[in-house]
Amino acid sequence: MAEERIYELIFICRPDTPEAEIDKVVSTLGQVVEEQQGRVEKVDKWGVRKLAYRIAKCNDGFFVFLLIHSRQGEMIKELARRLNVSEPVLKYITVRIDEELKRQRKLVARRERRMARRARKSAGETAAAAG
Amino acid sequence: MTPDAPRTSQSSHSSRGSHGPAGRHGGDRPRKPRRQYVRKRKVCRFCVDKIDYVDYKNADLLRTFILDRGKVIPRRITGTCSRHQRWLKLAVKRARNIALLPFAAHA
Repeated sequence: MAEERIYELIFICRPDTPEAEIDKVVSTLGQVVEEQQGRVEKVDKWGVRKLAYRIAKCNDGFFVFLLIHSRQGEMIKELARRLNVSEPVLKYITVRIDEELKRQRKLVARRERRMARRARKSAGETAAAAG
Repeated sequence: MTPDAPRTSQSSHSSRGSHGPAGRHGGDRPRKPRRQYVRKRKVCRFCVDKIDYVDYKNADLLRTFILDRGKVIPRRITGTCSRHQRWLKLAVKRARNIALLPFAAHA
């Protein structure tokens, strides 16, 4: 069994898309994820934002953010296919972030260790100076 | 690496500037005064703020590191350390992909 991986998926819909249609896209993606034994951890609708550049004659877009845990890498391909064929979606991006989160955790842990050591050391120094 | 000595301000100063040619200054040794002004040493914004992951979704932060044209500002100007510049580059590229940042300013 492959280890669990964490992905961030953002897709942009046309700004005039009704909310119901966006929910439909989200639920179809959720179905795909569940079929592959993954799970959607978080769905976050950022709402309509300005695009940095025009996509398909749209200057604004409705951003939706998904956080997905999965062990099946093949799932991403299927999600991409679904997003490609769905009408309101302008653009999407999938980023695998588990390794970066791991690195971040490592750096945080290291910093905490160092702070603890430094605190211990300075405490010892003042004790020596006093004694 | 260097043993921690918070008593003298000089030693803590030299341990900070471990990378970059600007870190090699003469200390307080008597020397001919060549320059009147002292150039302020640039520090990496990400290191100061203790950021361990440059998030591509944080467009407002990334926007401070790109020019109006959309180009990434070189680190010799911003003072970002090499590691954080690398992460920044990746984040900017991802943000461009999802239209949070421009590839180039449109005319």
